[in-house]
Order: sequence, then structure tokens, then C-alpha cells
Amino acid sequence: MRSSEVRLDRLSKEYNHTVAVDDVSLTIEPGHMVALLGPSGCGKTTCLRMIAGLIRPTSGDVFVNDKRMTDVPVHRRNVGMLFQNYALFPHLTVEENIAFGLEMRGISKADAAKKVGEALSLVQLSSFGKRYPAQLSGGQQQRVALGRALVIEPAMLLLDEPLGALDKGLRESMQVELRALQRRLGLTTVMVTHDQDEALTMADKIVVMRDGKLEQVGSATEIYQRPSSKFVAQFIGASNLFQGPVEQRNGNGAVIRVSPELSLQVDEVPQSASDVMVSIRPEAIVVERVGQSPASQRANSVTALVDQAIYRGFVSHYYLKTPSGGQIIVFEQNQSQQAGLRYAVGEEVVARWESPSNHVIARH
Amino acid sequence: MDERFSGFGAYILYTVTAGMMLFILAPLLLVMAASVSDSYFVTFPPQGFTLKWYAKVLQDRDFLEAMRLSILLALGTTAGSLLLGVPAAFALVRGKFFGLAAIKGFLLSPLIFPALVTGLALLQVLTKLGSQDARLNLLIGHVVVTSPYVIRTVVTSLQLVDENLEDAARTLGANRLTTFWRVTLPQIASGVAAGGLFAFMVSFDNYPVTMWLANSEYSPVPLVLMRQLVNVFDPSVPAMSTIIILMAMVGVLLLEKLVGLRRALAA
Repeated sequence: MRSSEVRLDRLSKEYNHTVAVDDVSLTIEPGHMVALLGPSGCGKTTCLRMIAGLIRPTSGDVFVNDKRMTDVPVHRRNVGMLFQNYALFPHLTVEENIAFGLEMRGISKADAAKKVGEALSLVQLSSFGKRYPAQLSGGQQQRVALGRALVIEPAMLLLDEPLGALDKGLRESMQVELRALQRRLGLTTVMVTHDQDEALTMADKIVVMRDGKLEQVGSATEIYQRPSSKFVAQFIGASNLFQGPVEQRNGNGAVIRVSPELSLQVDEVPQSASDVMVSIRPEAIVVERVGQSPASQRANSVTALVDQAIYRGFVSHYYLKTPSGGQIIVFEQNQSQQAGLRYAVGEEVVARWESPSNHVIARH
Repeated sequence: MDERFSGFGAYILYTVTAGMMLFILAPLLLVMAASVSDSYFVTFPPQGFTLKWYAKVLQDRDFLEAMRLSILLALGTTAGSLLLGVPAAFALVRGKFFGLAAIKGFLLSPLIFPALVTGLALLQVLTKLGSQDARLNLLIGHVVVTSPYVIRTVVTSLQLVDENLEDAARTLGANRLTTFWRVTLPQIASGVAAGGLFAFMVSFDNYPVTMWLANSEYSPVPLVLMRQLVNVFDPSVPAMSTIIILMAMVGVLLLEKLVGLRRALAA
């Protein structure tokens, strides 16, 4: 009953002729968690608020289980929503906060008290019922907000950067906890975040937004491994982007000439393409000392100087400079027995990678 | 003792503060002292001690009638200015509509316009409209004068209320009215109380607007006081004033007790 399908149909919102959300269509499957991801001002929050009913779309519709909700006021939509600053009612105790939605639904005091108790134990705050929000930590406050949103048995859960105000460690443990709870309840959830790690950790499906439009929709692996645009490739994780003309075709693939010293062997290139953009993830690149790499490999390989080397615990970051001035970023995982950086700044090295790591970006 | 208020700086601060307090309170103390003077004219220092002027004032039918009128008028004004001012403040803070800034400026304008002019203008309008009842005219006039105080205090406290609280309440099933009543109002209670108290006190001692709108039958306290002052300047005038000062003090203490003055004025 709780698992609702949410469908956005050509949803748009304009403010004084500025388009905040531009013709967004999206289907969120029952029980899925979808993350709207993008930089600030990309329209993700406006989108979420239109789903909630807090903002009226300029055009387009929101459907829940194929029922048109566009004209249903927010207080009749039965949505549970979490806000970045928790939005707990400061003048009410934790119990009263959680009971608020039940009271609005005219549920009897006795039934409400029982449900509040259940909600409190669900969010592991059973002994905090009589406290006021100001007496709780940030993490506890967001749990209360979660209990308050879940106790009304909402048709969907909407999260507006819910963990943004928490510090890193707590945020990560809350991400895992929230995700586990959402799975257990099978509750359709839409989350807004600008934090790619949060989206990758929590969502079944990631919706990358830019300038009010959908940029790419897909699973975490799809988005990360096969970004459909330069924007996505750069926004999600780090990318080495190369661009160049097709030098020679071989079957479905081609050799792309990036610079005099670097050519890329790409396994699949659209027949019509003449100028191609390729993204290579920094962790796909192997760095070796000159002379160690197989001499036969000519494509996907370049000699470069170490420009910067940064030790970051479990990984090291190398910024390489190619003879023609191009930059290559390499992430190398550190082995446990290893002591620090393997290459020094100024050292000449060979960077190489396998051709499946070359991902052709369709839009650039 | 707070670190910042120690040493020589603190000494200067306390001296200046005490000086300011004296400057503000001395005239009031003077009036209070004069009210117990056993003489037929207002003198200072007071001669002897008597409460007979209070006895006289409290038996004075004109004064008691004026008190009754002024209190009812101030209560009505408070209610009226809250009913107009709170929704107006809400619209000014939460609303997004054309001409918002202009309307805001206009609604707060009686704080800028001379009350004397406002009073005269009101008299002309109300006469044109054929409104003969002095009590109604006074109520309208006082609401016009006091609403900006309510709007100002409520606007300030509303600006501090997180809009997400209201959004949260609405997603939980509260309509706009319930949201305002159950979530917003408790957050701005101190601002509303302060605005209400201002409205009451401003109405109670308003002279410039009252002067235009009252008539011989319905004269609020400031007019009676003025008349008495012009006719016989005996210590019953300071006695009346002292009663008003005490009322104001009770009002301030009440506000302090209910919402905390510091919170109300911080708004």
C-alpha cells in the first residue's frame, strides 16, 4: 500500500520569466529511492517541492499511482518530508512533534500515543519523547523529523538535503541507516542532494539535473561509468577529458588523435562522429616508470612528468603534465605495506590504460 | 560578572546608563512626588504628605468616566490593530506580490506622518462619511495610529520564523490557517504581545489624534487631563498621571511575566 509510483509529466516552473524547472518528465518506481543531483540552482529543490505540492508548477503534472495530484493541496497529499534544517516545531516536545500529523488526521489520542511510541522506537529515540528539539543533537533532531514524517504512513518520502547539516562521520552512518530503513519499509523516496557521494550511496536511480533540465537518469554505475555528457562526467567523480578527430576507423571503433604524443583506441564510436570527446576515470590509469611499460602499446599511453603528487591515505593523486601541456589526473590506490608516494614530483613516467576505459561522451 | 563588563569600561558604562535612567525617570518621579503634596497648587519639592488628591481623583466622575472610556478604547484598539496588523505583517513577510515594498512603506507610514495631520485627515474623512459616533471614530483613529506598531513588531518576529516550519506542518496535513495557528503564532507570540502592549499604551495616552475625534460627551483620559491642567493645576493632575504611570508599569511587568520583555523587545 505504501509503495506508490510517482510520475512527473512535462513539469515546468517559471519565476518572472526565469525557468527553474524545464519540461521534466520522470517515473519513479514504487519502493525506489531516487536522488535528484545537481549543483545549486539546477532546479532539483523546486522539483521536489512541486512533488510535495509546496510549489505549484507553471505547467505539467504530478501523478501518484496514476492519480493526478497537481491540484491537490499539500496538506491532502500525504507526503512525508525531511528538511535540511530539520524544521522541528521548537515549541513542541519530541512526542508532540511526532503526534502533529496524527492530530491533523483526527486520530484519537490513545491511538496516536501508541503510534508515536512505535515511531520513537523506529528511530531509536524512545527515551527522548519529553524533550524539546533544542535539547537534542542535530542527528537526533533529524531522527525525530524522520519519525514525524513516517508516523503518518506517507505515500512517499521526500528528502530535501536531509543530512547536509550533519558532520561527515554522522552523515555517512545516517545515510546507511536511512537507506536501510527506506528499503525495509519499501517506501518510494525522492531525495535532493548536491553531494554525489550521498547520491551514489543511497539511490537506486540518480537523476542528474542542470539548468532545470534532466541531464542524465540512471543507476549509480551507469552514471559513473557511462556519463552521457561532459557535465555529468565532470560533476560525478573526476574525469580526464580528451577531445580529438577520428584518425582511423577499425571495425566499430576508431583511433582518436588527441595530441602528437597521445592517441586513444576507442572500441565503439558512432559512425557519423568525426570529432570525439572521451572521458577516462582517474582510477583507470596505471602509472609506471619509463622503460617498464610494454613498448608495443602506442594508443592509450603517454609519457608525462609528475607535476603534483598528493598522498591521501588510501589513495594517492598524481597530476601529470604531457609534453604538449595536457593534464592527466591519476588516482592510485595505496597498498597497505607501501610507504607513501611511489613517484616524486618532476619524475618522468608513463601513464597508460586499457581501451574499455575510454568512454565516448555523446554530448559535449 | 561578564568579562566584557568589568574594569574601567564597566564603570563608565554604568555611570552613563544610570545617567540615562535618571534623565528618563526623573520627570516621572517628579510627577509622582507632586501628587502627594499637601498644597493647592503643584509644587516641588512637595509640601507635607497626603493622599487626598487620589481620593479626589478617584471620586471625580469625569475622570472615572474618562478612564473607563480610555481603557475600553485601548482594549478595542488593541484587538482591532492585532486583527489588522498580524495578517498584514504575515502578508508583508511571506507574500511575494507586486508593490510589496511600497505597501510596506505605506503601512508603516503613520509612524512617520505627524499624528496631528493623521488626526485632522481622519476627522475630515469620517465627517464626509457621516460617521457621527465619537467612540467609533476614536476607535478607527486609534487603530490607524497603532496598527503600524503591531505590524512592525510582528514583521520583525515573523522574519525570524523559519518558513520550513510552516512547510513541514503543511506536509503533515495542516491547512494554512491551522499552520498559522498551531505553528507560526506560537513562534511570534512575543512579538504579537509586544505589539499589543504598544497598541494599548499608544492608544491610552494618544493626544494628537484623540483631540480631533473626541467630543464633549466622549473624552478619553489625555483630554480630561489636559482640560484639568488648563483649568485648575492642582495636585489632582499629577495624581491622575501617577495612576497612568502605574498602569503602564503593570502592563510592562505583565508582558515580562508572560513572554519575557527581553524576548518581546528583541523582536
